[in-house]
Amino acid sequence: MASITISMELAMTYRNLVAPDGGWVAPEIFSDQALYDLERQRIFGRSWLWLGHECQLPQPGSFLRTLMGDESVIVTRNRDGAVSAFLNACRHRGFEVCQEDRGVAHRFQCRYHGWTYGADGALIGVPGEETLYFRELDKRAWGLIPVARVETYKGLIFGNFDLDAPSLIDDLGDMAWYLDILLDRRAGGVVVLGPQRWRIAANWKVVAENHIGDEYHIGYAHGSMFPPDLGAARPAPLPFAREIRPAPGHGFGVDIYPDQATPRDWLSNGPLAMAPAHVTDYLLEIHEETAQRLGDQRARMAPIHGTVFPTLGMVPFFNTFRAIHPRGPREVEIWSYCVVDRDAPEPVKRWLADYSARAFGPAGGFEQDDAGNWTAVTRSSLGEQARRHRLNFQMGLGHETRSDRYPGEVGLTASEINQRGFYLRWAREMFGVAA
Amino acid sequence: MSELETWFAVQQWLAREARLLDGRQFDQWLELLHRDVRYRIPDRSYRTQTEPRDFATWSVDAEIAPEHGLAFVDDDLGGLQRRVARLQSAMAWAETPASMTRRLVGDVIVDSDDGATLSVVSALFVVKARRDERVLLTAERRDRLAIATNGYQLRERLVVLDAVELPTENLSLIL
Repeated sequence: MASITISMELAMTYRNLVAPDGGWVAPEIFSDQALYDLERQRIFGRSWLWLGHECQLPQPGSFLRTLMGDESVIVTRNRDGAVSAFLNACRHRGFEVCQEDRGVAHRFQCRYHGWTYGADGALIGVPGEETLYFRELDKRAWGLIPVARVETYKGLIFGNFDLDAPSLIDDLGDMAWYLDILLDRRAGGVVVLGPQRWRIAANWKVVAENHIGDEYHIGYAHGSMFPPDLGAARPAPLPFAREIRPAPGHGFGVDIYPDQATPRDWLSNGPLAMAPAHVTDYLLEIHEETAQRLGDQRARMAPIHGTVFPTLGMVPFFNTFRAIHPRGPREVEIWSYCVVDRDAPEPVKRWLADYSARAFGPAGGFEQDDAGNWTAVTRSSLGEQARRHRLNFQMGLGHETRSDRYPGEVGLTASEINQRGFYLRWAREMFGVAA
Repeated sequence: MSELETWFAVQQWLAREARLLDGRQFDQWLELLHRDVRYRIPDRSYRTQTEPRDFATWSVDAEIAPEHGLAFVDDDLGGLQRRVARLQSAMAWAETPASMTRRLVGDVIVDSDDGATLSVVSALFVVKARRDERVLLTAERRDRLAIATNGYQLRERLVVLDAVELPTENLSLIL
């Protein structure tokens, strides 16, 4: 790992950024350039960042272009089938050697001077190698810079710039057990559609903390999406909701169906209550397979929202996963995907994709109203007066519980248990303080 | 109608439609829609080029039809009605206060389909101002207009945005 220095001033003040119990944070973490510069090293330089899904790399030579933090990377599938990632920067002048989103390519040629690299990152061609470099260039030393670690979990590909980072599975901890509800309910796993991409003038943490635990805003901020008689319309037995913090920095909210609820009850209370018959038939059809694969306990859980630290945001209720890429301290570029069972019939996939896009993504009825909240939080944190005063994260503080049935710490819905976990993990990564 | 009369009528129809949307007269806008309307805003992507350059791959159509695409909007009449109902609710915060918008529709080209329908291609230029946001979106519209007794009805619209990473915090506007 590269040596990291932080200014004396930051070292002196970090204790004023996040409360020891997570019950408040300082607004400046949402806009301060020096903190962002440190995040580039300590968060984005050594966290597991979501790169994509294996379905996007179907064959040897498949590649996709994405971001890690605010830096461009290429993810490739080599001839031997292994997935690797590289900084998307030519070793001659740093030009991006890949400009397309995805496809199949066995070589990447820089369009500035023509240096050429293989899918394994090796430098394989240099114009003028004999006449201008006198055959003295050690091409083995000038391949694309590999992302130190690339690991997958149930099809999701993650990268980490830190060779010494704990393994992905260790970092996910019990979050992996819950992710299986989304990724492993059928033998074929899932595929992703998209991404939709757009930019919001918001700090990345504001977006990530909304995904990880903000059930509180749903009834009000998304009031336009709920008919006034919604509560009355839901038939018993009703699910109960919980916020769960399975591992430091990760968290999600979930609807849990009581033992007497049948899969049909499950459907009529969930977001797919209004789905057409071919979709509900499919979901009822796969329930047995799901229950068999996950066990009855997890088959009864319908995750609503969540975040894998730091920037994989999820709204599984509406089949969406998104990478929240930072673009400086006050802007994000969201890459939003729809996640569907690989073996679902094509019309079911299409219906779920449209349904997902009607709720989330820039034109979605829910997400349209989110962006303004995130930009307002970010804008407010710039106020010379406003930034002097801490923001409250105390909902449910001290009321976290543990349960034999649900690994991790559990809070009520709503509770800010997961936001506190997120910022305590952030403080630990940034400043090494125990969380 | 002569070609010129048709072109003029379509141009006027598009200008009036733009004025309804800029004026937030969504109920009147809904009346312009055919009952079987399909309204799409596909996502767009940067594509790989082949060598020698294959123009089928290089086309705009290829960019808006990736095999694994996820359209921003793919609505029928019910979907558009729900979209409008949401905008008209008191809690659609993205448009409360409302964006100030101006739509310019130009470069109108009319091709007759079959006597009952016109194929119309036009260029859309939208400016949106709201709080700190100043957004400029441009797009090609590919419309099919059904010829009705009292004018035209929008039967189909495909909005091809000139952007991959949208420079806007949301797509709350009808394009």
